[in-house]
Amino acid sequence: MSAHPEVKTIEEFKQQPAEYQDAVRKIVRSHAINELYGAQVFDEPAIALAPTPYAKWLTCRVAMEEYHHHVRFRTLADEIGVKAEEMDTKNKRPLNIFEFPLKTWEEFVVIKMLGDLAEILQVEDLLHCSFVPLRNLARTTMPEEKFHAQFGKDFGAELVRTPEGKAALQEAVNAFYPYAPHFFGSAKSKNNELFRSFGIKLRTNEDMRADYVARAHDVLTSLGLKAPDLAQAA
Amino acid sequence: MELHSAWFSTLGAPLGEGEEADIRAYLAGLGLAAKLPTLLVESWGQAAEMIRNPAAEWWAAEERERVRLEQRAKLDPADPQWLALTDALHGAAAVAAARGGGADPGLIKAAAGSATYAVYQRRLAAAAGEGEAHPFMRKCALFAGGRWPLGLYGDRFAIY
Repeated sequence: MSAHPEVKTIEEFKQQPAEYQDAVRKIVRSHAINELYGAQVFDEPAIALAPTPYAKWLTCRVAMEEYHHHVRFRTLADEIGVKAEEMDTKNKRPLNIFEFPLKTWEEFVVIKMLGDLAEILQVEDLLHCSFVPLRNLARTTMPEEKFHAQFGKDFGAELVRTPEGKAALQEAVNAFYPYAPHFFGSAKSKNNELFRSFGIKLRTNEDMRADYVARAHDVLTSLGLKAPDLAQAA
Repeated sequence: MELHSAWFSTLGAPLGEGEEADIRAYLAGLGLAAKLPTLLVESWGQAAEMIRNPAAEWWAAEERERVRLEQRAKLDPADPQWLALTDALHGAAAVAAARGGGADPGLIKAAAGSATYAVYQRRLAAAAGEGEAHPFMRKCALFAGGRWPLGLYGDRFAIY
């Protein structure tokens, strides 16, 4: 049960306490920026890395879906009064996960398989958000996010059929996976506490991170891969 | 042009002379052999099998031209109207797949992605000042006429 009454419209949003409005704006802005970054630094460049027309065109469609997620969040950001300069990546850095230097198709497969799994958890946490337009936006994007993670798993399953492919995929996991848990923010985040107090989000960062690690391990195990030791990788 | 298109509506049907001419002009415009035999693909399953093969030479020829054009023109991939069109292409591919007895979601998205890439290439060529004879215009005309050009595999140009 939400700690905050449902806010069903933009008009109702504008009548909420400033603290609530700021909290929602932070989340919407973060999603808008990160969706854009993901499309720009991972999905679009990956078209060139994909090995076949099927993989290239599917990646192209996925890139368009990520761009569309950005536009949807940006539109909501505009509606709730996020200032243009706050959407500028010069003023708001994206998450460090986007600093991963994509070089190979196997790395992109891992980014979809494990990076989009992290995104799924973030979106899941908004499925019962007290701000209904954001809740509905999360519900709209969720099926595509799930497809993107499945895309990674499906191509991962193809790669592990050969020893060379499996080794390359494991190498990509080793390189990317240490970035992923940082996707969930710090353990004692004041923002997260605020989000939960307003019923915008449900879970603590630590709770989500632990869930993510467990689910990522399940995915890796199903493909016969190993998760690197995060403590050693850090 | 995009509003008057028959995306994915004539998959598998015999090619007309105009379509044969578009294929020859497209291949020649990319510097590929214009008189290669055409393989008319007849089902979603056959298309799925075909496009899971590498087609490096053909793809590289397209990419060289794309890179050349992008030095003269840039398009915004996050333009809302453009994204709405890409969703319409996805819808058209899904409808065609349903009519054709079904295809998996990945193949439908791949079909949508291929049409998206073709329309992007067409828009890029137009923005760079190229005319209707440009190979990307000719390829997109095939898509707009309801075809799915699948690419060059070995010595055959495959089209569904």
